[in-house]
Amino acid sequence: MSVAELESRELELEAPSGLWRDAFSRLRRNPGAIVGFILVGLFIACAIFAPAIAPEGPDEGHLERIIQGCCPGPSKDHWFGVDQQGRDEFSRIMYGARYSLVVGVVAVSVGLSIGLVIGAMAGYIGGGTDSVLMRIMDVMLAVPGLLLAIGLVAALGQGLWQIMVAVGATQIPIFARLLRGSILSQKGNEFVVSARSVGVPRRSILVSHILPNSMAPVIVAGMLALGTAIIDVAGLGFLGLGPQDPGTPEWGTMLTDVQRYFQSAPHLALVPGAAIVVAVLGFNLIGDGMREALDPKLRGRV
Amino acid sequence: MLRFVVRRLLLLIPILIGLSILVFIWVRALPGSPAEALLGERATPAAVEQLNKQYGLDKPVYEQYLNYLNQTVHFDFGLSIASRRTVAEEIKTRFPATVELALAAMLFAVVFGIPLGFFAAKYYGGIFDQSSLFLSLLGISIPIFFLGLLLKYIFAVRLGWLPTVGRIDVQRDVEHPTNFYVLDAIITRDWETLKDVLSHLILPAIALGTIPLAILSRITRASVLDVQNEDYVRTARAKGLSPIVVDRRHVLRNAMLPISTVIGLQTGLLLSGAVLTETVFAWPGVGRWLAEAIFNRDYPVLQGGILFLAIIFVLVNLVVDISYAIINPRIRYS
Repeated sequence: MSVAELESRELELEAPSGLWRDAFSRLRRNPGAIVGFILVGLFIACAIFAPAIAPEGPDEGHLERIIQGCCPGPSKDHWFGVDQQGRDEFSRIMYGARYSLVVGVVAVSVGLSIGLVIGAMAGYIGGGTDSVLMRIMDVMLAVPGLLLAIGLVAALGQGLWQIMVAVGATQIPIFARLLRGSILSQKGNEFVVSARSVGVPRRSILVSHILPNSMAPVIVAGMLALGTAIIDVAGLGFLGLGPQDPGTPEWGTMLTDVQRYFQSAPHLALVPGAAIVVAVLGFNLIGDGMREALDPKLRGRV
Repeated sequence: MLRFVVRRLLLLIPILIGLSILVFIWVRALPGSPAEALLGERATPAAVEQLNKQYGLDKPVYEQYLNYLNQTVHFDFGLSIASRRTVAEEIKTRFPATVELALAAMLFAVVFGIPLGFFAAKYYGGIFDQSSLFLSLLGISIPIFFLGLLLKYIFAVRLGWLPTVGRIDVQRDVEHPTNFYVLDAIITRDWETLKDVLSHLILPAIALGTIPLAILSRITRASVLDVQNEDYVRTARAKGLSPIVVDRRHVLRNAMLPISTVIGLQTGLLLSGAVLTETVFAWPGVGRWLAEAIFNRDYPVLQGGILFLAIIFVLVNLVVDISYAIINPRIRYS
């Protein structure tokens, strides 16, 4: 039997059994994670079906609604009230879910993919490559995350894409370090040494032996990073670095000016803020549940 | 021990050089020149030229970098374009504000976070444990600026118990020898001012301290759970020590190792990352100042300020590492 065949058999054997299925069955019994899945499901459903759920467009202003002062609170016609331009807040929150979801996913994908390539190279090649890459990561980590993101947005210009790239960039060193550490701890394992001794090429050892076994912490971190990304993007929006069109129903941007309406219309602050909390909490609950499910040390406990 | 410290200090050099290059390139990558930001788009070429000369922006790039490096080493960060004060002077008044806020936030986090985590571990799996876990998860899921707005709305606008913005009542005219207002008030024995300053500090400190609180309570819980099952704890119990003594002397003391590291690292983060809290509460610290400098294209402030914060951040991390090595002999020799 050739090495390649051996490898493919090993993969077959690995796939159905083991860590992932075990983890999934533990995840299903974790009430927190279930709540997380429900929240995230709700969030994704809002994002996808926003046009069908929302009674109005996100930028349909009806000034006649605020003739009697700003701004009418929740009512039967407007579940979440009306904003300072007479727009239906509920519709804006529904459409806002789209921005937050896309922004979160794109930002994390940017950070994850670049971070993983750097981490894999540093961890597997080692030596000089490792030192140089990790020093660069250290420099990036030395600038506090939000400040780095603000700085990148300032250089790239305002806008949704710029924000996504900026927030993603702040996550590169986190993923790079995580994967590097994980790979280093796998490198000395017996199955890696034995694959090497039968002459499996380096790249396929990395791809088919080391990476699959190093991914668990990365996936957990990715889930938690989605929450962080949504918060960071909202923070940049709040600072006024968000989409150039201020009418965009991005949740953080919606919170920018609300302090002026504190007395008469607290719902303008409460509703978008609560939306962010719900979405982020969902991802954090899932991430937390996954960490518990994947951590062999905790298996007996729960 | 000395070797460990020296090695860590040497490791700082490439990071600081890399950082200075990064900041230097970044500032030049910003769209719009400082002359444009300062003089407006319709400035005469002569005025632009004069300004560029004044700030040394007409020299070749490498010379500008070397110049910048030389000044930085001498703590001369230049003049702020927006305020015309020296950047060093601005840092002198603003950094204490940030430090005061960060320390207050950390105090809040430690006082509530550690007991929360400890009792969660003690009653592992119970209602208290579950709810504290959920609360800490909620704590890291709330955007800091939303929490700030919420606190402000409830305690300042609705209830009117606490002031909404700033460090001190604007009508209060007192001396600030150290720029740490709490300290100043205590030194001058001005209890009225102290009350005023503290009341301004409470809400921002809670807003800023919530994330560290959540993280601390989780770390404490995990750490206490780990230590609780150690052999020496079982031995201590078996030989009949009272539970309180076991908790204090054997469990908490050993559990404090990872907790103290987290406290240190989080403090470093708070010192440098309070942009949002400072914005919500109009706190005159370095975070908000830097965010404003980005809008104003204030090159000297950005170059000096960000480098300063990053240096502080790296130094705090270094101190954390070293003190960890002092507390935990196992690290020193590896």
